[in-house]
Parts: sequence; structure tokens; C-alpha cells
Amino acid sequence: MPNKTKETKKEIVKETEKISKVPEKEEKNEIKKTKKKNTSAKEIAVKVAETIKEASKKIIGSKEKNEKKPKKATRKSKKVTEEPITTETEKTSKKASKKTTSSTKKTNTKSSTTAKKSVSKKEANKPKDITISKIKNVKETYKSAKAIKPKPKAKKATKKPVSVIENYELPYRYNETIVRILYQTPNTLFVYWDMSDKDRQKYIKQFGEDFFNNSYPVLIIHNDTMNYSFEIAINDFANSWYLRVNDSKCNYRVELGRRISNINSNNTKAQNNDSSQNFHNDYIYVSMSNSVELPNDHILFKTNGNNTIKYRNVKTKQETNISIFDIIKNLPLIEKTEIPYLSSEILEGLYTAIYKNEDLSVLEALANPSSRGLESSRMPHSK
Amino acid sequence: MQKKGYVSFVLHAHLPFIHHPESDDYLEESWLYEAISETYIPLLHNFQKLVDEGVKFRITMSMTPPLLSMLDNKLLQKKYINYLEKLIELSKKEIERTKDNERINKLSHYYYDRYSSDLHFFRDECNCNLIEQFKHFQDIGVLEIITCGATHGYFPILYVNEETVRAQIAVGVQTYEKYFKRKPRGIWLPECGYIPEADKYLKEFGIEYAIVESHGVLYADPTPIYGTCAPITSPGGLTCFGRDITSSQQVWSSINGYPGDFNYREFYRDIGYDADYDYIKPYIAHNGVRVHTGIRYYRITGKTEQKDIYDVQWAKDSAEKQAGHFFNSRNEQIENASKYMNVPPIILCPYDAELYGHWWYEGPYWLYILFKKIYYDDCNFELITPSEYIDKYPNIQVCQPCRSSWGANGYSGVWLNPTNDYAHRHLHKAGSRMIELATKYPNATGIVKRALNQAARELLLAQSSDWLFIITNGTMVDYAKKRIVNHIGRFTKLYNQIKRKRIDIQFLKDIEKKDCVFPEIDYHIYTKLN
Repeated sequence: MPNKTKETKKEIVKETEKISKVPEKEEKNEIKKTKKKNTSAKEIAVKVAETIKEASKKIIGSKEKNEKKPKKATRKSKKVTEEPITTETEKTSKKASKKTTSSTKKTNTKSSTTAKKSVSKKEANKPKDITISKIKNVKETYKSAKAIKPKPKAKKATKKPVSVIENYELPYRYNETIVRILYQTPNTLFVYWDMSDKDRQKYIKQFGEDFFNNSYPVLIIHNDTMNYSFEIAINDFANSWYLRVNDSKCNYRVELGRRISNINSNNTKAQNNDSSQNFHNDYIYVSMSNSVELPNDHILFKTNGNNTIKYRNVKTKQETNISIFDIIKNLPLIEKTEIPYLSSEILEGLYTAIYKNEDLSVLEALANPSSRGLESSRMPHSK
Repeated sequence: MQKKGYVSFVLHAHLPFIHHPESDDYLEESWLYEAISETYIPLLHNFQKLVDEGVKFRITMSMTPPLLSMLDNKLLQKKYINYLEKLIELSKKEIERTKDNERINKLSHYYYDRYSSDLHFFRDECNCNLIEQFKHFQDIGVLEIITCGATHGYFPILYVNEETVRAQIAVGVQTYEKYFKRKPRGIWLPECGYIPEADKYLKEFGIEYAIVESHGVLYADPTPIYGTCAPITSPGGLTCFGRDITSSQQVWSSINGYPGDFNYREFYRDIGYDADYDYIKPYIAHNGVRVHTGIRYYRITGKTEQKDIYDVQWAKDSAEKQAGHFFNSRNEQIENASKYMNVPPIILCPYDAELYGHWWYEGPYWLYILFKKIYYDDCNFELITPSEYIDKYPNIQVCQPCRSSWGANGYSGVWLNPTNDYAHRHLHKAGSRMIELATKYPNATGIVKRALNQAARELLLAQSSDWLFIITNGTMVDYAKKRIVNHIGRFTKLYNQIKRKRIDIQFLKDIEKKDCVFPEIDYHIYTKLN
């Protein structure tokens, strides 16, 4: 691949890495609150160090415990943090607004007072998604003010089958502890994450009120194919990130954890890969992502073992291995040509011959223009 | 001349499911009508002409499930007839309006004839059933139709929940069988998004081959010895045909691609924008925004804004010249490649079907002339479909194709970037919730079953890669975003109602009517896999 392309790629990735997501309002609030209490980061670090050996066990234990016996506060907060948010009909909407919460980005994790506030605000806002059984001029509400329909048609509309007015919003979060990764390019992973309120409470209980104030989130990228890991620090205002990785065609997992703020952790790179939970003493494991294989990004020019090519008869399923040298010997044009000793050279030679008019190094730029705007042949078109 | 290889044309016919019985104001519905008039009907006409003239040809088309569902939708058929009637009315007015300019007036007549002919063909000859027309050409052996993911969901993003990829394949195959009364042998992977994890599900539903991007084959492991000139088969049993680079460039290139010929019709000079506002108002958007009408009088002419009047014959001449160029290029390419191969090369030429006619107005005619040349002129290749190639040459090299797509830069950047990455956690969450529902309620009946099936439809519609593409592309973004929000919203509402055992029948009925894709869907396809 030409350097130029790679450089452009790097620039793009740099740019994308800068992008962090909209801060979670609830987290902001929480940070403010926790700042009031003045437990130092060092104290927490000591506490962490003390408990770290048992942390993993406790985490698992407390998870189960919490699942079985959710505390009142958690229940309340759950009520307001979980996504939307529906009300059934106009008749029941009042009832529903008490029982359910409406879609909102303002999620709350902690105090019941905040939760109450949030609920009352929602009541004031009225539910977002209203089903109205019989509503006159339903059609008109969809139309712009300018689009005036003749009166008889408006009358007709009232006779039409019931339509439902819908107004949805995507929930900001699903209140679950999760880390998911996807590949964007052979060298870029996209990761998104969240930590449930229940887990947050668990850490606060374990490490003190100031835990989230005095620690910061980190992502540890594990290359499982080449068996190495590296870590990057992120922040609590982000919930997704683009990660630049060096090695394409490898399996990756990404681990979410937290590190205590005041302890300098310059020595965290290239750690062992065996367990996520004993990464370091100032480190708390949170969750592990799915595993993803990054795509390959170049022609490999490689054969199977022993310079063979495997063929399968797709009808009979019978498989045969043939030496690439035998294949080459039978090619119409090879008769008088000296056959290279290395199979990779044979393959390169074949590609040069077959693609004599193509520069395969620019293959990356040859993807379908259908995704490049104006040349697009897709219907969504505009000038 | 001795035949030394093959050329295989694959046209990918796809539009996202756009169906708004609640309003006539959705401009996006017209994508279907434009595609019918400019692409699907011209293609059908040209197939018929070739058959009538005794030309032996082969072509492959993927017709995606949402497109089939829309073509089969009575309301959209009715709306298409309205669309044509309006255009006929407008072109009639145009004949009057342009009577002082002979060249433009000739074109007004041309449009009047063309839209009148479309109306007659669609309503009277086909009885509004275009699917049956395509099926006919498949049944007589000139066209191979392949399937696609149910709603064009992009596998490399969905596969964190493998069940949702399996469901995309299952519903794609089921929809195909419903309309074409046979099993599809091939698939156009949505956005050519290949992932090895889908192989087993494709195999489960009887798919033998897929179309992949060039580097899907070239970057395979081990290296395919003949590059994209021969298919490869994956360890999982999926045969992959890679897109040929040269022929793609000749058609696609924005710099010197065929569609940029100066004699071809200029896409952007439409009377929807050019004509006097009060005159054109009844034929543009309901809210008064100027939009394309389809009536265009100018040719590309050059790279400036100065445009000359379109001339149908000149455009045809250019198409013929370019068909000759393409024909010669393939001859040379096959002559060269066949020297280094022990099997005849296959040059795979996949394109968006809507390129032909909608964007490149003369495309269908170009294809018609090319097919005639291949049949009548002396050349070293024949047309073939991928299935026929597999049947003739079943001995295929085993390689693991590379994860790839046909989007810009070849991977997932079009469907996953800072403009649209907010959507993925919602798509994944809805996917895992659907699996949860299907697994939790294996024996649902009555209204619960209906709600579960509708939840499956909402999930599928949310997963359409088109919304992510449109957001990236920056046009009609609000609509695309709204579609994701609405389908996730409807899904979530159903999810909560099903779990609370309080299903709002009125709401369910309403969205069943709006999102009426895949009426036979069975939510059990989402049952958790072991």
C-alpha cells in the first residue's frame, strides 16, 4: 500500500480519535457531588491496593448479590434511567406518566431526590409518545402549515382508520455494563461502552464515594493473535472511541477499566495478556468486549503449506492439493519461461501478468463510488 | 474466434423500504417511481427486445427483499400510477409550452410518449406486477435473480448478534422464494459486506455464491492464484466472485467513466428546478420545494454550467461507441488473462442497477447494444451467470475471502463513522432484545405473536444500511435519522408491551399498516442459537 494512502488514513484516524461523545449529564452531576466530599485519591488508591486481591471475587460476588437484592435507591434510579417510555393511549396517559418515564437524556443514578425531580419534570413535559385513538385532522398535523387541503378531504380524514402520532427519541443509554467493538478499517476499531448504575453503586460501595471522581476510565486493547496489549486513557465524558491499531488481520478485544488518578502509570504498557483483572494494583477491571478480527489490508502472495494450492469441487466436495509449481508448468504462456523458486514470486508474477494494466497498490481507492456522494448511483440523490 | 473466457454482468436492484400510507408528503417514496420508470422498465424492455431479436444473452440481477415488497405493494403501485399520470399531464403541458423551440419540443413529445408508454406497460400489460416480468426472464433462462439481506443490513456491523445476521439471510431467502418460486443460488451481500461468520448461515439457507468487492478476493488467505479472474470458495463453503477492477473503472470513474459522455443527458438540469415556479408548483413537492420531475432537456455538454439541448440520437451514438470500447477492452483483457490460467477467466461486472437509467440515462441502451455486439460480433468471450460458471467449472480454489465491502475505502467506514456511529448501540441492543423475546416466547399466539412478528419487522427496517449511508452522504439526513429513531422506538415500545403483557392493539395495527414489509415473517428466526 502506498505511504500516501497510509498517511491520509492516519490523519483520518487522528481526527476521529479526537472525537469524544456528548457528556452524560448525569455523570457530570455525579462528579460535582462527589467533589464535595474530600476523600483524596491516594486514600482510595490505598483502599484499592488493599482490596485488589479480592476485588475480582468480590466483583463477581457483589454482582450476583446486587442482581438478587437490588437496593431501593437502585430501583428508583433504574426507574428513571431506563430508556423510554411509552404511554398507551390518551385516556391512560396520566396514569402512564406516573408509572413510566419518558424518553430523556437526563438519566439519574443516585439520589432519590434527583430521581423525584426527574420524574416530576417528565410529568411536566408530558409523554413523548402519545397514542391517540380518535383524533380529528390527524393528517393535517403531519403536513406543513402551507399545505392546505380542501375541506372535503379533511372531513374524509376523520373517517380514515385510526392513526397514531408517534414521537420517539433514542435513549441515551441502556443502563447496562457493556463494551462492544466493531472494526471500521483494517487499522481502526470502534468501541462503545457503558456502565450500569448497579455497577457504579457497587464500586462506590467498595471504594468510597469519591471513587469515580478520583479515577478515570481506560481502555486496554488486547491483540490476541500477536499476544500483546496496550492501554489508552479516556474520559468520563465519552461513551465511544475510535482506536488506532497497528496490526491488521488480528483478533482484538477491548477491556474497560478504571485507574486511580494520582498514581502515575507510565509503566502500564505491554503488560501480560493472561488476565484482565491483575493488570496493575491501581487498576479496576470493569468489562471485556466481544472479540473482533480486523480485515486484511494487502495481497498476501502466499500459498498453503508446501507451496500447494487447495481446490475443492463444490459439487462433490472433494478436495485436492496441487503444487503451485505443477499448476504453473501447465500454463499456456509459461512453457519457455523460467519458473521462480519461491511461490510468492510466482504469485506476484501471475498478478503482474494478469493485471498488466492495473496498479494494484491503489486498489484501496477503487471501491465503489456509490458511497462517494455525487457520483452515487443510489437513489437518495440531491444536487 | 475461439471462446476463451466469460463476462458476467450483475445488477444490484435495491431501494430501502419506504412506505407512508399516512401521508403523501414523503418525497422519498418517489425514489421507487423514478427507479421503475428510468431503470426497471427500460431494463425489462431491453431484455424483451433482445429475446425478440433472438440474441442469446445472460445477466444476473439481485432484487432485494424491500424492493420486492414495494413492487408488490398495492398502495405504492397506485401511487406510481398517479405519479405517471401527473408526469403525462406535465409533459402534455410541456408540449404546449415549448412549441416555439423545435428541439426542446421534440423532447417534450419524447417524454409524453415515454411516460404514456410506461403507464400502458405497467397498468395494462403487467397488471402492475413488475416482479412477474422479471420472473419471466428468469424462467426462460436469460436472467438469474439472486437475493440479498432482508433489509440490506450491513453484516459487519450486525454480526455481534449472529442471530440477526442469520435472520437477514433467512428473510431474504424466504422473500425470494415467495416471489420467484425457487431457491436463490446466489446472494448480493448487502454493500458487498463480507464476513466469514456469515458463511455457515448462507450455507444453511442454500446460498452457493456471493458477490464480493475486488479485495475480498485479492486479499484472501491464501492468495487466489488467478486474482479476481476466477472465483474462490471459502472454508465455510461460500463461493465468492470478486469484482473486476478495470471494467468497474470504465463505467464508474467520475473522471472518464462512460456516464460522463458530453452527449448524455444531464441529470441535474430538470424542469423541476428550471421552470417558472407557479407553472411547476403542482408537480414538485407538496410543501413547494423544487425537486426533480424527470423531465430534462439538456445534455452534459461539458464541464461548465453552459448546457446544450439533449439529442436522443447523439446520446445513442455515444452509447454505441462506448459499448464498442467496453467490448474491445474485455476482449483484450480475456485474451491476456487466459494465457496465465488453467480455467477460462470470468470478468465480473457488478453495478448498482439504478446506475443504469436513473443516473446514467442511456445505461440500459448501452447494455442492450453491448449484449447484441457480444452475440453478433467476433469475440473471445461469452456472457455467463455466476451459477453457470460454477456448474461448468466446479473445481475452485479454497481461500478465506477478506472482510471487505464496496464502500469508499473498502471496509466499514461508510456505515460506521462519527456521523452515524451513535446508531450502532441501539441496533445491537434491539437485536439482542429481539433474540431475548423470541427465545422467551417460543409459543406465542394471537396478539402476542403479532406483536413479536411486528417487532421483528421493526428491527429489520432499523437495520437497513441505507440510513447509515444517507447520513454519511449528507443528503436527506433528517429522513434517514428519523427512520432509525422510529423503528427503534416502535421496536422498544413493542418490546416493553410484550414483556408487560399489555399490548396496545391500536398502536400495533397502526404500525402493522405502516411497516407492512414481510407479511409472512416468523419471529422464531431470532431464537437464540446455541
